[in-house]
Amino acid sequence: MKELEKLFDRIIQRTTINLRELGYNVKPSVWSLIPPGQMTKFYAFYGITPDHPLNFQFRHSGLAGSYFLGRCHVTNSLLYKSDIRGDELKKKGELFRFQEFEIQVSKDEEILIEDSALIKTLVHNFSHDPETLEKFFIKDTVSTHYANIHGSPSDGCFLGPFSTVDLTTIRDCVIGTFSYIQAGEISHLNIEPGTIWVRSPGNFNFLYRYPGEQLKKYIYFAPGDQPQGIFMDFVNDRKEDFQEIFEVVNFESSVSVPGSASLDRYAVTKPTTHISENVLVSQRAYLQNVWLGKGANAQENCYIINSRLEGYNVTAHGAKIIEADLGKNVFVGFNSFLQGRPDCRLSIGKESIIMPHTIIDIQEPLSIPAGHLVWGLVTNQKDLEENSLPVNKFSEIETRFSKGNLVFEGSGRSFVKAFQDRIHHILEANGAFFNGAENKGHAQRNQNISFNTIQPYPRGSLKGLYPTIVIQP
Amino acid sequence: MFGRILDQGRYCFLNPKWSLFVENYTVKDLMVPISEYASVPEGSTLFEAVLALEKAQEQFDHTKYYHRAILILDKENRVIGKLSQLDVLRAIEPRNEQTDKIDDISRFGFSEKFIHAIRDKHRLEGVLMENICEVAMKIKVEDFMQAPSEGEIVEENTSMDTAIHQLVMGTHLSLLVTRGEEIVGILRMSDVFAAIFHAMKQCEINKDR
Repeated sequence: MKELEKLFDRIIQRTTINLRELGYNVKPSVWSLIPPGQMTKFYAFYGITPDHPLNFQFRHSGLAGSYFLGRCHVTNSLLYKSDIRGDELKKKGELFRFQEFEIQVSKDEEILIEDSALIKTLVHNFSHDPETLEKFFIKDTVSTHYANIHGSPSDGCFLGPFSTVDLTTIRDCVIGTFSYIQAGEISHLNIEPGTIWVRSPGNFNFLYRYPGEQLKKYIYFAPGDQPQGIFMDFVNDRKEDFQEIFEVVNFESSVSVPGSASLDRYAVTKPTTHISENVLVSQRAYLQNVWLGKGANAQENCYIINSRLEGYNVTAHGAKIIEADLGKNVFVGFNSFLQGRPDCRLSIGKESIIMPHTIIDIQEPLSIPAGHLVWGLVTNQKDLEENSLPVNKFSEIETRFSKGNLVFEGSGRSFVKAFQDRIHHILEANGAFFNGAENKGHAQRNQNISFNTIQPYPRGSLKGLYPTIVIQP
Repeated sequence: MFGRILDQGRYCFLNPKWSLFVENYTVKDLMVPISEYASVPEGSTLFEAVLALEKAQEQFDHTKYYHRAILILDKENRVIGKLSQLDVLRAIEPRNEQTDKIDDISRFGFSEKFIHAIRDKHRLEGVLMENICEVAMKIKVEDFMQAPSEGEIVEENTSMDTAIHQLVMGTHLSLLVTRGEEIVGILRMSDVFAAIFHAMKQCEINKDR
């Protein structure tokens, strides 16, 4: 067996051992997901800017098509078309607040990926675990297509396609397909597909479960097969557009970009795209016939097509917006799929919050009033009534609430405030409030970024693996 | 046997000291022989199991402590499981897709109060108590019995302190007592507790003398 396959086998074995209590065997699920030929086909690349730290160490790993920024160590791992964004890591001397504690960060934080396989996965943000402030670790973990590991250290876990772990330390867990987990810390849990769980112990607990059969139409993953469904068809249909921009070394976009905005050279832009001031468009974002108002952002793996976003819109990692009009300050959470049609557009009023992993897929025009919180599966007006509430009404919940497949316990006010604060922080971090001198964020810092590429062994027993590489200032 | 000695009120005379109790007596001294315990063959209904429990209790009236479980025997009269009171209650609880969902929700850190509130909301769909007879006649004991786990089995010559430790660590209400491969009796927590209680009382009597 070649070294690459041995490595993959070893990673799978280690993850399966961690998941033995749950009886989950990783091998049938992922063995066919990374054909060894693909690991030699694509180069890896990393970004250099004067505004970001630089410390990359790659050892005994395959990195095909993956992107790195900031501080990152990868050891004994396979990364396939993954984005490892270390541009929000903590810096030495910063204070981390946790409950009543203020903990000083003792050294610059690093992303440490060990004995793991990440397939088309996004890693971003920083460790929110007070026990491991300086190490955002991902070890003995296998993640699959379009999973998001966001501020979530992971040890011994499997993440299904389109799943997200957000600000949560996970140990020995299976995160089901299209599940979104934000719960602080979890261990030894097998989370079924389509579980949306947001918990802050002592404050609130939000749980929505997708109807299994209906979710399968959008995304379905069975061991031995590639992920299937509308989501996969959607991204596969646009794959070639990305291939074109990855094949060209110096790519110049024809889109006009204001001085305070940034458009990543690895984003796809198709006519006619308008970018206003303070807009951030990240790599692997896809824009086609889009109007982005001031301070809007399109994060990694976003697709925005035939749509208008009025401004200060957050389109989180992996979200898709098609044939829609969004008012100002509309938040669209991770991996949400919002699909209007040319003859029946989707309209979302200002300051609405579309929860992470929401599916809106309509066959008739649908208008979401301003200031609404929307979750779950919405295909028509009736679904909208069952799966939404005005934000101010949600804030009035004091003990418990259930509606359709949603159960909620705790303070609605705390829940809404947590989301609103987070949205504000995201806009701030992305540079939406830049005034020409202050409040710089990613939109301004990412403008002058250089990309270097690195290549694996092209043949021999180490084919597909990269030599040990240390890149420092 | 020790159990009988206890029943006849002679325990204090024979074994006045706690240390002697735990050192000198073994599980077989306190166990209830399997022949005196409620048992039903596999394939029996819940109703038959409850009748067997009643019958066994009538015949076994040595103490004020009731049998709290029914043993399930295979064709060769080997014990294959135990049906506790909790298992019986679990068996008559209404089950449907909604109750399964509620059980599942409890994994996600919701409070007991919250779970009870949801359960109450959906209880109207249930059948608890209303057709309890029908349920009891229909359900087979093996569907709800618990197969004996390793920690629930104790050899008849095991010392009492080891057996007590096993009850405490496994939070078991009883242990199955074996002789070789065969299950020959039940060591009930109620009997062990009664014995300890008497030993404590005896310490007090000796101190006063």
